[in-house]
Amino acid sequence: MTADHLTPEALHRLVEPHRVHRRIYTDPEIFELEQTRVFAASWSYVAHESEIPAPGDFTTTKVGGRPVVVTRDGDGAVHALLNRCSHRGALFTIESSGCAKRFTCPYHGWSFANDGRLVSLPFPQNHPVQDGDRSQFDLGRLAVAEYRGFVFATLHPDPEPLEEWLGPATEPFDHIVDRHPGGRLRVLPSPQQLEFDGNWKLAWDNAADGLHATFAHRSYNVLGSDADIDTVLARDPGRTPMVAKALGHGHMVVDQRPGIPDGPWSTMRAVPFREPLEEELVASGAGGDLDLATGSMVNLSLFPNLIFVGNQLLVVEPIAVDRTRLSAHLVLAPDAPAEIDLLRLRVDEDFISFGTPDDLDMFERVQQGLAIPEMEWIDVSRGLRDGPDVPAADGVVTGPITSEAPQRGYLARYRDLLTTEVITRVR
Amino acid sequence: MSLTSRDVTARYDELAELVVDVERRGPGDVALVAEAATLVAHEARLLDARRYDEWLAGWSDDAVLWVPMAPTHPAADQSLLLDDRRRLAERVRWRAEPSAWGQQPPSRTTRVVGSVEAWRSGDRVIVRSGLVLHEHRRARAQLLVGHQIHEFVDEASRCRTKILLLPQLSLGIRNPSFLL
Repeated sequence: MTADHLTPEALHRLVEPHRVHRRIYTDPEIFELEQTRVFAASWSYVAHESEIPAPGDFTTTKVGGRPVVVTRDGDGAVHALLNRCSHRGALFTIESSGCAKRFTCPYHGWSFANDGRLVSLPFPQNHPVQDGDRSQFDLGRLAVAEYRGFVFATLHPDPEPLEEWLGPATEPFDHIVDRHPGGRLRVLPSPQQLEFDGNWKLAWDNAADGLHATFAHRSYNVLGSDADIDTVLARDPGRTPMVAKALGHGHMVVDQRPGIPDGPWSTMRAVPFREPLEEELVASGAGGDLDLATGSMVNLSLFPNLIFVGNQLLVVEPIAVDRTRLSAHLVLAPDAPAEIDLLRLRVDEDFISFGTPDDLDMFERVQQGLAIPEMEWIDVSRGLRDGPDVPAADGVVTGPITSEAPQRGYLARYRDLLTTEVITRVR
Repeated sequence: MSLTSRDVTARYDELAELVVDVERRGPGDVALVAEAATLVAHEARLLDARRYDEWLAGWSDDAVLWVPMAPTHPAADQSLLLDDRRRLAERVRWRAEPSAWGQQPPSRTTRVVGSVEAWRSGDRVIVRSGLVLHEHRRARAQLLVGHQIHEFVDEASRCRTKILLLPQLSLGIRNPSFLL
C-alpha cells in the first residue's frame, strides 16, 4: 500500500508547469523513491572508456545509491555489475578502480569473472548449485550502452535505446567530443570531490541557470574585471545572444558560444604558468588551439547525473535528501599539443576556487530556506510571460538565458519518472 | 627571466619528487627543528588570523602552493589547486570581496601543527609537519587532518613551496574555499 502522499497522483501535484513544491527537495520518502525511479530506472552515466582502457580494468560508481563496478572483460566488452556478492551480499571489491580478471569475495571465497559470471565457490560439494543452474549466482548486471566513449547503465527492465534517450542532446554532445583532436578524451583518475548540505536538484537547477551568474558569481566577475578580462559570466543576461535549451528527456544545454565572438580563451584570466605555455603554442603555430585549453562553452546536462561544464564531467550523486556529492572529473585532450593539457590542469582549478564556493553557499541557503513549511512553492516561471514553452519539431525548447525553460524541461521529465511505478531488474 | 614550458614541467617534476623525497628521509636535523617549527607555526597563525597581506609577503616570487587530490604528479592528475604567486594574490583579493558568498562570513580556522621535522638541503630548508585543520563557518564545522611540506629559501626564509597533503579530499569535503 502506498501512503496517500506518495501515490502517483499526489506526487504529480508537486510539480506544476510554473512552480514546484518544496517537498521534492526535503522529503526523505520522496528521496528514496527517486533513487529507484529517477536514477536506477533511467540511464545514468557510469564511466568513460578512458578510465577502463585495457581488458580487466575496472572502476566503481553508484547508480541510484547502488554500488556498481564497471569492468572491461577479456574480449573488450564493458559490463556494469552490482558490487554485491551473490552469496551473502558483501561488496566483493572496495577498490575505487583497478585491474582484475576475477573478483573473489573475501568473506567466503566465491569468485566471479569480470563479466559477472560465477566462476567458482569453495567446497562446492554440499551446495545445491552443484545440481542447478550456476548462472543464478552470477553477479547482478545492469543494462549498459555507450555513446562516444561514455558508458551509461540502467536497471530499467526495458530501457529505451540510449540514442533515443539522448535525442537532440547528441548534437551538443558530439560538439564537446569532436573539439578534441581525434575525438579522443582522457579522464583523469582523481576527481575533485565536493559535498553540500542540500538536495541534488539544487545542482540541477543551477546547471542551466543563465541568470545566477550575474549575482551569485559576482565575485568571479570582479576578479575578471580586475584583470581586464570579460569573463563569460559577466555578460548582460538580458542582452547576450547566448541561448538556453530544454532538449527533452530532462536534458538541458546552455550555449554560450554566440555571446563570446572572440572564443573561449578570450574569457579566461591568467592561470598559473599560462604565459610560457601560451607562448610555446603560439611559437609553434598552434595558437589557434588555445580555445581547447578552456571549456567548450556548451554546458550540457544529461539528466539525471552528468553535467559537462568547462573541461569537467560533473557527476551528481545524491547521498541523502539534504546531502549531495559532486565529483568533478577533468577531461584531457591527449592528441592535442602537450601545452593544452598543462593549461587545462590549471584552468580546471579556476572556477572551483572562485565560482563553485559561491554556488555551494547558495545551494545550502536554498535548502535551509526550504525547511520553512509555511512557504510551500518554488517559482520556475521565468520566461512564461513570453508564452508557454513550445517545442520545435525536434522537441527542443529554446529561450534566452534568462528563461527557466531548461529547468521546467527537467522538472517535467522528473515528474514523469517520479510518478511511474517501475520494477527495476538485474540481468 | 621568462619561463619556458620546459621550466613548467621541471617545476612540476620537482614538486612530485619533493613528496617522495621527504618520505624517504631519515630523522630530521635537531638543530634546525626549533627554527623550522617557528616558521610553520607563524604561517599557520597568519592564516588563522586572516592576516593575508603579511602571509602573502612571506612567499618567494617563484612560489607554488600545491593541494593535490592524490600526491602523484601535478601534470598526471587533478589537484584542488596549484597556485603561483599571482593566483595566491587572487585568492587574497577574492576573500576581501563582499560578494564572495562562499567566504562571507569567512571561515574560522584553527591549525594545529605537530611532528615537525626539518632538513637542510643546500641553501634551502625542507620541513615536514603534521596538520590538524579545524574549520567552521555558518554553524557547521569540518576537520581535516594530514601533513604539509614547506620549502623555505633565502635569508628571509620566504616560502618557495608548500604542499598540503590531505587524504580526506578524496572522500569529499564541503566548500573548500578556506584552504590555503
